[in-house]
Amino acid sequence: MTPNSIKQFLRRRAFGIFTLTALLVLSLAPSRFLAPAMADEDPMSVVKTTVNQALDVLRDTSSPLAQRQDKLRQIVAQTFDFKEMAKSALGYHWKELTPAQQQEFTNAFVAFIEDSYLSKINDYRGQQVNFLKVSSDGPQYAQVNTDIIQPNGKDAIHVNYRLLKEDGTWKIYDVTVDAISIIANYRNQFNRVMNSKGYDTLIKDLKAKQAALAASLANH
Amino acid sequence: MRSGSKHIERTGALWTMLASSLLAVVSFTTPALSQDVAPFSANPAARQAATAQTPPGESQAVTPDPLAGFNEPMFTFNLKLDDWVLRPVAKGYSFIAPQPVREGVGRFFDNVRVIPRFANNLFQLKLVEASTEVARFGINSTIGLAGFFDPAQELFGLERKPNDFGLTIRYYNIPTGPYVMLPFFGPSTIGDTVGLVADGAMNPMDYLLPTWITLVVSTGQRAAEAVNYRSLHMNQFEEADRYAIDLYGAVQDAYLQTREHEVKKLHEEQW
Repeated sequence: MTPNSIKQFLRRRAFGIFTLTALLVLSLAPSRFLAPAMADEDPMSVVKTTVNQALDVLRDTSSPLAQRQDKLRQIVAQTFDFKEMAKSALGYHWKELTPAQQQEFTNAFVAFIEDSYLSKINDYRGQQVNFLKVSSDGPQYAQVNTDIIQPNGKDAIHVNYRLLKEDGTWKIYDVTVDAISIIANYRNQFNRVMNSKGYDTLIKDLKAKQAALAASLANH
Repeated sequence: MRSGSKHIERTGALWTMLASSLLAVVSFTTPALSQDVAPFSANPAARQAATAQTPPGESQAVTPDPLAGFNEPMFTFNLKLDDWVLRPVAKGYSFIAPQPVREGVGRFFDNVRVIPRFANNLFQLKLVEASTEVARFGINSTIGLAGFFDPAQELFGLERKPNDFGLTIRYYNIPTGPYVMLPFFGPSTIGDTVGLVADGAMNPMDYLLPTWITLVVSTGQRAAEAVNYRSLHMNQFEEADRYAIDLYGAVQDAYLQTREHEVKKLHEEQW
């Protein structure tokens, strides 16, 4: 072996060791560093996928209702950040609750919102959805504008989705219907109940409304 | 001369009515003014939370409602009025008149209110929008058969857009004051109530006909309009109540968000 080839061999081996170490370190690193590069779906396609999946369930009138409701529940759970929604809907009162109360409230609010949407399942009359545009609000936040086209020539309903990026995935944290933010609307209601009657009344009322919605769902 | 003095007398009476009702509202609700509102709270924790970082479109701020003591009973009154009078009448009416007719009636009422819309576009220096209103009125009153149809939008693409004096106040960033629930008229703010009076004063018939006729006619018109609107939104309260934890708060917030959006649209559009 000439000195030159020895040098080359050493250099190659060094490179090999470097590569190995690098791979090891990367594989040990938390997966979140790698995740965004692999599954970086943009806000528009997140909303499109969710809405189209939901529309498929709405159009599928042949399957049993309970099965369609389960499917809808799954679709919504994938892309909605329910915890953020519950927290945001409670506003500054969130910090006044104990962790157990926060969990209790989140569960009750999620069930209530889910049943609100599920109760609309029988109102579907062939509405179409137009995906209009996406606007970015910094690297963390985005809004997707859609129109629901009514079949009977009535004015379209403007539905916008507000998303935030969490661990590399876009999640919906609010929906506006004809420019009225749903979460802001509930925040005003919850604030009023919290200020005048307190948490116990709020959770009782929330559970009662959810139970009424669930009962009417079961009757269909 | 005779009609002139009568006019002054009427506006005088109107202002007295407005001033006394405002006074009543304020005296009725003074205790409510001292309530704990988060952004202005004496409690430092609540104040800090109110200014904390929130996602776009969200806010920790609490909608101030100093007139709640007046508004809440009025809201109950309106709901009862709806329950006992408006809804049954609207139900009977919708039984007689088919939906397309009722939609036409709605467009008719919308068409006759061209003057305040035109004037407020002028107040906001929106010359294109103002002339659009004139064109819409001309087209819809003639080939739209007195406003029952809307060919201006369907054939000429001249869009129907809301405008009123309450929006003019907002357009110039003048605060519209606290939220107020008006009997019969529904949700409003102090500024929007002034706007309601100002827009109402733009009805040319008030200056041409004796007071009692215009009063009877305008009250009748208001009532007919309310019945017609209600017949087209038959399940609105029942629907809203199913999804509301606090119906008063839901209506209040929906009203304020809608007004905010309407004025934002006015700022965005070209003129």
